[in-house]
Amino acid sequence: MSKLIRSLMVMAACLAVMGCLSQAGEKVYRIGGAAYGLSGEYMKLWATALERHPAVTQGLVQVTVFDGRYDASVQQSQFETMSAQKYDAILFVPIDIEAGAAAVATASAAGIPVIGSNTRVNSDLLTAYIGSNDVVSGYLEAKAVIDKMGGKGNVVIIEGPIGQSAQIERLEGNKKALAEYPNIKVLEQKTANWSRAEALALMENWLTAHPGQIQGVIGQNDEMALGAVQAIKAAGLDLSKFAIAGIDGVSDAITAVKNGEMDLSILQDAVSQAQGALDIALGQIIPNYQPLSACWKDYADMKWEGGKLKVYDVPWTPITKANADEQWAKRQDLTSR
Amino acid sequence: MATSTDSKGASRFWSFVWELRIIIALLVICIILSFASDYFLIQSNLINVLRQVSINGLLSIGMTFVILTGGIDLSVGSMLAFGGVVTASFVSNAYKHVPNLHPLLAILIGLSAGVALGAVNGLVISKVKVTPFIMTLGMLSIARGLTFIYTNGMPVTDLNKDFLVIGQGYIWFLPVPVVIFLAAFILAWVILYGMKFGRYVYAVGGNARSARISGINVSFIIFMVYVISGFLCALGGILLTARTSAGLPQAGQAYELDAIAAVVIGGTSMTGGKGALLGTLMGVLIIGVINNGLDLLSVSSYYQQVVKGLIIVGAVMLDYFQADSDR
Repeated sequence: MSKLIRSLMVMAACLAVMGCLSQAGEKVYRIGGAAYGLSGEYMKLWATALERHPAVTQGLVQVTVFDGRYDASVQQSQFETMSAQKYDAILFVPIDIEAGAAAVATASAAGIPVIGSNTRVNSDLLTAYIGSNDVVSGYLEAKAVIDKMGGKGNVVIIEGPIGQSAQIERLEGNKKALAEYPNIKVLEQKTANWSRAEALALMENWLTAHPGQIQGVIGQNDEMALGAVQAIKAAGLDLSKFAIAGIDGVSDAITAVKNGEMDLSILQDAVSQAQGALDIALGQIIPNYQPLSACWKDYADMKWEGGKLKVYDVPWTPITKANADEQWAKRQDLTSR
Repeated sequence: MATSTDSKGASRFWSFVWELRIIIALLVICIILSFASDYFLIQSNLINVLRQVSINGLLSIGMTFVILTGGIDLSVGSMLAFGGVVTASFVSNAYKHVPNLHPLLAILIGLSAGVALGAVNGLVISKVKVTPFIMTLGMLSIARGLTFIYTNGMPVTDLNKDFLVIGQGYIWFLPVPVVIFLAAFILAWVILYGMKFGRYVYAVGGNARSARISGINVSFIIFMVYVISGFLCALGGILLTARTSAGLPQAGQAYELDAIAAVVIGGTSMTGGKGALLGTLMGVLIIGVINNGLDLLSVSSYYQQVVKGLIIVGAVMLDYFQADSDR
């Protein structure tokens, strides 16, 4: 029965496509990119990568990126707009794992496929999801810090905004690694809201409260790890005596790793998350679509499988001194205007 | 004429008592914290506190001028970000499309950017008579947008080492940002209490109409306080940029709240005409000391927000109490 419906839908879609073709020569698909906010470097890279997807540059797809302004209700109204305008698909980066379900339902009711990207959303109606597992990154960064400390000593954890899914899952990963090393003590753990300036003041105060006792800094993102680097420098302490790691692979963090100021940044691959999501969306609406983005060749573990999987896991890439130059070159390529 | 001098003297007296109250409050908080933490009352920590408050301090000085005229400036955080990224772009090795200038020249350009935004605020408020709340609310959005347009949403990095001194260096034992903050404070003090301009600021906020009748160029005074605010915001943004080694386009979000809080805690009346710069300094220090102390004591940041809110409301309640006893 469902097969019949599906084939009917495909036929309907083909007719619709043919209709468009006859009118305008070639059908241009309209895809909405609903980003939770464009103030940070990460989402900016995501949006840039999306606009540079081969399908966009070749004119097959017209992409509109919406700035969710870090507000679930703003994203909700953007979904209503896209549904009213009958977008062909929506790529969705929700501000929060719980907050986006209503938005997905809105699009789903209008028959528009929604591909989650970067941040998951708790909804059965999501067509597919492509992103990186934050628990894994939290584990990897904590492990790197602990390893550099030789498995013993004191660490501090600088957290993201409490309650955001990235903070919750990265902390879970941090704790998983810490649990394996009973000789590591967590001296302090507090939020700096992803902000470099806040983390700077926080770390200054911690260095005062625990003079000479902190050996490791686990920053749940790069900006905050960089704030800690500044605080340690400002206090006149020797950076090489600290193990410092962050997550995301923002440009400044890659530089800091190159200079030996940070030990590790874990690159979250904005390009693959954005371009992969667009390929998955096109796979939903174009029969026998073959993905155009290079990201499917970048990772052996991330298989296309006809674009029909529910979840695509984009692997993390640890950036250390060994590969920082290579990653820096890649980033320059993406950010050059 | 004699009565007006008398009441002025009385209100001067009350504002003096009021200032003492805030100083006492600050001292009490410091005493409690020095018992609670062994690390509070040490030189390096006190210097940290001063450095941490210097940026909010600059914004709060400008905010004091504005609120004294009965206005408000909601755009301080956005102007801070704009001044910061503009300056950063001129000392960044990564920004190829703008020239790499001497740090002082870059700072001058950044300050001019802040002055320009402040001047737009001032012009529209004083000439077109758009209320300060609406105009600066608009500017909050405009300046933030300009910041993102200018930087394409990316941090401005790879900054000239000489420039970073202004955020990370020391003059004798004092961090440069602290020295700049103190210098700005003294300069503001001289303007507010040693020059005619300062008296006019109070007069405009006390009663704009009678100020106008007595020959004061009210719209010029109003224009100038927003220019001063824009200038100090850009200066704060430049310090923040040098302190964090990057021009961050999202810097300074919600900073207006801390600046207004410091002014209000300092006893300056939101309706204008009454208040003192010294109170603002105390307000800035109280906020800074509490943030620092609660970090030292490992208190969750949730409590930090509650405590700050209670102090703001408490300070305003005392303000009303004082206003009642004045009558």
